[in-house]
Amino acid sequence: MEDILAILPNPTKETAPFWEGCNRGELLLSTCEDCAQVFYYPRLYCPQCGSEKLGWRASAGRGSLYSFTHVGVSFYGPTWESQLPYTLVLVDLDEGPRMLSRLVGAGRDEAKIGDRLRLEFVEYKTQKLPYFSIE
Amino acid sequence: MPRVNDDAVIIGLGETAVGKLPGLTSVQIQAMAVHDALRSCGLSIRDVDGLINLDPYSFPNSMFAITLAEYLGLKPSFCETVDVGGTVTGMTMLQQAIWAIESGHCRTAVCVYGENALTGRPAGGHGFWLKNLMGGEEWEEPFGLQGMVSMYGLLAQRYFHDYGADEADLGAIAVSTREHALRNDNSIMKKPMTLEEHRASRMICSPLRLLDCSLVSDGGGALVLTSAANARRIGARMVRMRSFAMRMTHNTVSQMPNIEQLGMRDAGRDAYEAAGIGPEDLDMAQLHDAFTISALITIDALGFCEPGGAGDYIRSGATAPGGSCPVNTHGGLLSQAHIGGMLHLVEAVRQLRGEAGKRQVPNARLALVSGNGGIFSICGVSILERV
Repeated sequence: MEDILAILPNPTKETAPFWEGCNRGELLLSTCEDCAQVFYYPRLYCPQCGSEKLGWRASAGRGSLYSFTHVGVSFYGPTWESQLPYTLVLVDLDEGPRMLSRLVGAGRDEAKIGDRLRLEFVEYKTQKLPYFSIE
Repeated sequence: MPRVNDDAVIIGLGETAVGKLPGLTSVQIQAMAVHDALRSCGLSIRDVDGLINLDPYSFPNSMFAITLAEYLGLKPSFCETVDVGGTVTGMTMLQQAIWAIESGHCRTAVCVYGENALTGRPAGGHGFWLKNLMGGEEWEEPFGLQGMVSMYGLLAQRYFHDYGADEADLGAIAVSTREHALRNDNSIMKKPMTLEEHRASRMICSPLRLLDCSLVSDGGGALVLTSAANARRIGARMVRMRSFAMRMTHNTVSQMPNIEQLGMRDAGRDAYEAAGIGPEDLDMAQLHDAFTISALITIDALGFCEPGGAGDYIRSGATAPGGSCPVNTHGGLLSQAHIGGMLHLVEAVRQLRGEAGKRQVPNARLALVSGNGGIFSICGVSILERV
């Protein structure tokens, strides 16, 4: 595994369960109890119907690569040069939502749109981060 | 369908130098653009009772229209700051000015944007310094996303996949835009560009290279509007906004829909319909080109060609100087300067007034201006017409 650097989130009351879920090894998606919409990222109201009756559902952690970019410059100063190039991905989760993430592991350089991806948590300091690798 | 009346018209334009303007603050740059615009139509600050601006991206300021009004010595009866998104902000300022004039809130309004985005950003910064400005950081930063170019890399890679496009298509618009910039003395870029130079430039966020990126710059632009009756009284040259439409679909990149569902297509259809014209009627188009891929997607969406056909359309010569619909006749954000798209509107007005000198599009009557903020998060299209 690469030596990962990350900017850790500052969770709010509404998003803390998501990040706590990550630390338990679960990618939690928001679900609406009224219209059954599954969505990412977590919000106080369902973006489909406006309902406040929301729950959580663990993703199976599988998805398809919608797009990717290999990042060749550091936006965080010289300390991030060690990360270059790193790979950002948009993943279409099998449950429906599209999610921005980071691709890690073998075959990253040869990533292709449509590749099947698998959730892979990477721990950085106090937080496990929901990254993906090629299945 | 959005409608724009023609009771208010654009009568003046202003533009500062671009590139590095060290020692100038954003409020000073905006003041310079306002005075330049007033000079162009023979008015002074004593004639201005409406002021609309956008605050600097580099250092967001609250109540920036008030800051500028005091600096200029104005006591306007209509004064506001508008922040919608790249170039759509400028169109919205014009729409606000038109409404304010038509409803009697003011008689003569100036719309202005400018800042020291290049010399004012933190040392070592890349691109516009947008940290903590757009929301969504909690779902971006932990994954390593910062700024705009990585999002556009994701969009460009998908565009390649959907349409079989490649970097030669990106290079085509970069080269066409540079040809225009060489005809504009107020451009940062002064030398021609070849496709080979484009392909050899440094990779930033694949597939986007350095020459796919716009030029962060200091500078400002402004437009003056007044009632049509007042414009006729003072004998001003008039340009009117014939239509304007916008469409918002998302903000953060994870919420971005598929390319053909981006809002540019719908905004364009509304703007064409409201103006009663189509792309074939246009004399030029000023398209928000923060990255080369932005221009390709916009050319597809606005009906200049079939989806995915932008590269071939550009290679046909249509967008170049002397083409059937020249695109970004001032050199655009890619080769003139990125002044938030305000200079796209200034250039359209300049061309429609017949004041574009060696780059004048002959007999220009209709110009389209497009914008998008974020990652095509909000799209806007306006059609301007010589009166």
